[in-house]
Amino acid sequence: MAPKKDPKAPAKKAEPAPAPAPAPEPAPAPAAAPAIDLSSVKIEFSADQIDDYREAFGLFDRVGDNKVAYNQIADIMRALGQNPTNKEVSKLLGNPTPEDMANKRVEFEGFLPMLQTIINSPNKAGFEDYVEGLRVFDKEGNGTVMGAELRIVLSTLGEKMNETEIDALMAGQEDENGCINYEAFVKHIMSV
Amino acid sequence: MGCGMGKSRIQPNKCDRVSISVPAATAIRAALLIQRWYRQYVARLEMRRRCTWNIFQSIEYAGEQDQIKLYHFFGFLMDHFTPASSERNLISHIFRENEVCRDADWERYFCYKDIEVPDSYCGPHLTFPMTFCGVSKLMEAFKLKQQLHARYVLQILGETWRLLRILPNINHVSVCHTKEITICGDLHGQLEDLLLIFYKNGLPSCEKPYVFNGDFVDRGKNSLEILLILFGFLLVYPNEVHLNRGNHEDHIVNLRYGFTKEVLGKYRVHGKKILKLLQKIFSWLPLATVINHKVLVVHGGISDSTDLDMVARMDRHRYVSVLRPPKAIRPTLNGNKAGSGKDEDASGPAEGRRRRVRSLTNTSAPGQRNNIPRRSLHNLPTGGAQLNCSVEDELKERRRLAGFDQTYREVKTLDSDSDPEFGEPTETHGHEWKQIVNLLWSDPMPQNGCISNEVRGGGCYWGPDVTEEVLGKHNLQLLIRSHECKQDGYEFCHNRRVLTIFSASNYYEVGSNRGAYIRMGHDLVPHFIQYQASRTCRELTLRQSVGWTERSALRALRQQLFVHKSDLVGAFQEFDPNNTGVISLRHWATATERVLKLGLPWRVLRPQLINRAQHGMVDYQQWIRELSITEPKPEVSDTSIMETMYKNHSNLETIFRIIDTDHSGLISFEEFRQTWKLLSSHLKMEISDKAITDLAQSMDFNKDGSIDINEFMEAFRLVDLSTHA
Repeated sequence: MAPKKDPKAPAKKAEPAPAPAPAPEPAPAPAAAPAIDLSSVKIEFSADQIDDYREAFGLFDRVGDNKVAYNQIADIMRALGQNPTNKEVSKLLGNPTPEDMANKRVEFEGFLPMLQTIINSPNKAGFEDYVEGLRVFDKEGNGTVMGAELRIVLSTLGEKMNETEIDALMAGQEDENGCINYEAFVKHIMSV
Repeated sequence: MGCGMGKSRIQPNKCDRVSISVPAATAIRAALLIQRWYRQYVARLEMRRRCTWNIFQSIEYAGEQDQIKLYHFFGFLMDHFTPASSERNLISHIFRENEVCRDADWERYFCYKDIEVPDSYCGPHLTFPMTFCGVSKLMEAFKLKQQLHARYVLQILGETWRLLRILPNINHVSVCHTKEITICGDLHGQLEDLLLIFYKNGLPSCEKPYVFNGDFVDRGKNSLEILLILFGFLLVYPNEVHLNRGNHEDHIVNLRYGFTKEVLGKYRVHGKKILKLLQKIFSWLPLATVINHKVLVVHGGISDSTDLDMVARMDRHRYVSVLRPPKAIRPTLNGNKAGSGKDEDASGPAEGRRRRVRSLTNTSAPGQRNNIPRRSLHNLPTGGAQLNCSVEDELKERRRLAGFDQTYREVKTLDSDSDPEFGEPTETHGHEWKQIVNLLWSDPMPQNGCISNEVRGGGCYWGPDVTEEVLGKHNLQLLIRSHECKQDGYEFCHNRRVLTIFSASNYYEVGSNRGAYIRMGHDLVPHFIQYQASRTCRELTLRQSVGWTERSALRALRQQLFVHKSDLVGAFQEFDPNNTGVISLRHWATATERVLKLGLPWRVLRPQLINRAQHGMVDYQQWIRELSITEPKPEVSDTSIMETMYKNHSNLETIFRIIDTDHSGLISFEEFRQTWKLLSSHLKMEISDKAITDLAQSMDFNKDGSIDINEFMEAFRLVDLSTHA
């Protein structure tokens, strides 16, 4: 079957930087923490929601065993409107090896508590957060950021994106000076 | 990824000057935020893309299944009705495939020599034997949208037929260390794709061998041009160009999927003859190609009974159409066999689709797999040819609905299918036929095993264990096949032992998929070249092309919903015993799947299909009204016949074309009536003569009392008026 496009479990460490302060990032602490106990998670979805999720889950089942691979979990959650980092998902799965990510599979009933955990997590971001996130790069305060700078940030920091992904993200967004109007950018992306 | 825009690269020196201008912690935070959100965007887009794909593919395969059911129905009529009735002749000719026995007689019939090419003809002139220049000339002419004169068409086809007759069932090809071979998949009448392949890869020649893996025709509008070019190259380079038969190289399939219509439209006088000659050519196309004794190239796939030795030995041209087994193994009637066309098990196609790894709203357990009634072409009689009482009643009813003669007796005459030259079909022919059907119609599935392909209605689904077994048995290392559209033009499965190659880009819609072809050298490692015909779509971003394709798929889906509206309302009302006019979303999804049987993720599609769902409830009557499809001819009073017509649009057209034996494109009022009778028998519905007459009267008949098939079908095509379109 065609290989999935999503990235595998990323490196956990953030890039080294001169800043002394710890990053106030929402991502959970690096590995060594035990896996989250999913059996204790209370499912609060309505029957309708569960049916919705079950159907979406089925769309990602490419084998026909009513399960999906570990490395698809993050994408299914994203397709359902959540946006966990890969690190968060990895933690939910008990920090599996890359092999586990590709080969281990989970059925829908196992997936639900994972989804619930992510939904319950305080790690939410809305339109304003994203705009703020980009505003820091707006050196002139004129509503635009430099495409080039964004590319470097996205390809070298955090859960790195590759060139193809960045190209696709920026497609049609840079003006002739290589600048991006970030509010419009965020609106555009969030309207999928 | 799809056809993303190629933005200009940042020049290296500019990069040096760009550095991150904010504190690292902030930058990291921003990066993570954007990355998470981007990945969400991609995941949502991917899900939409998969839904869209599912829609197109489900509708496509449902159409194929429909076709096979119709053909089975005709076979059923043929097998069990008296030959005396004149109505039987309406359809019997499609089974009478070999009226004239000897090739010499056929040669006379197909002779082009008396066909004059007028001075006013400004298309290409060809000389024979065919040369490279001739084929080039042909290609140039087609690029300029010229049409080849019927005389030359028949000449090329005649030469091709003569050549194919001396080719074996399986092409054996050697690729030595200085050459590479090119393998192309389905083209489906899309000339731009063939020309693009030749442009990128070079034309066939002694140094450049090619394999074309079937499905050259149907759907696209240049099927004939593609054939003529491929046959031209075959004639010039018979050792380097290899053609495999596909499931669309079959005149019965062509009736429905556009090739017949294309030929008759382009060649009004000689079209019938051309089609007949093509019938023969298709039956003589080789069934497979083997490269270096190691790589098997076949259009559909394999089954657990695939035996290449049997395939190599058989008389392949006996099987003019593979849609129907030879008489010896046709299902006899008992309670649960295919021929009786009993009501489908609602989980049948759905289960089949689960094999194909699609999601459904039902949650049937895998154990049910074994309970699927076997309704495919593979059904063999379980013994005993006794017709029991209830079946006789059904026969009577069928005959009555079709307007056939009421009295009947056992059919004792020679089977009209078989060529007298071949004699009565035997058990062996049954096995041979099964080999071919599996080679041309099968699809791979992820699970082990081998089961009938209920979704398409022909061939089987085969698993990785069968791949290993068949490849191992024949000492092969790779199976290359086509038959299924793939977004990137190609796809591996079964641990990279099976490779699907598909060469018709934008197959479902502009931007829906890329086409691809394979280059393979002596080392037998496949290399892929992908492309997408049409400049416009290459400039679309992924999101734009997903959106475009999605809109098209939703239009198609809304049409399907519309034509089934009576059934849908009925199904909804079952969940609404108190007649409140609203039902829950869950019931809406269940009912819709039950009626349409497409195995689609209705809940995921819901936001695209329902404008307003308050508190999780759907006002179904209003929803149906809001589908906004218009019926072009509302003045017909009997709405149920209209709905039948929309639902059976393709079947109707197929029957028209079958009945139109002289291929004039016109049928009389009486033939029109007979078409409806046949359809009503197939659907097991009553359609009154009055309804048919009313319908006919709403049409403009030509002065001589006949109607034009194309005009009729166009007049009753659905028009989508929704604001989403």
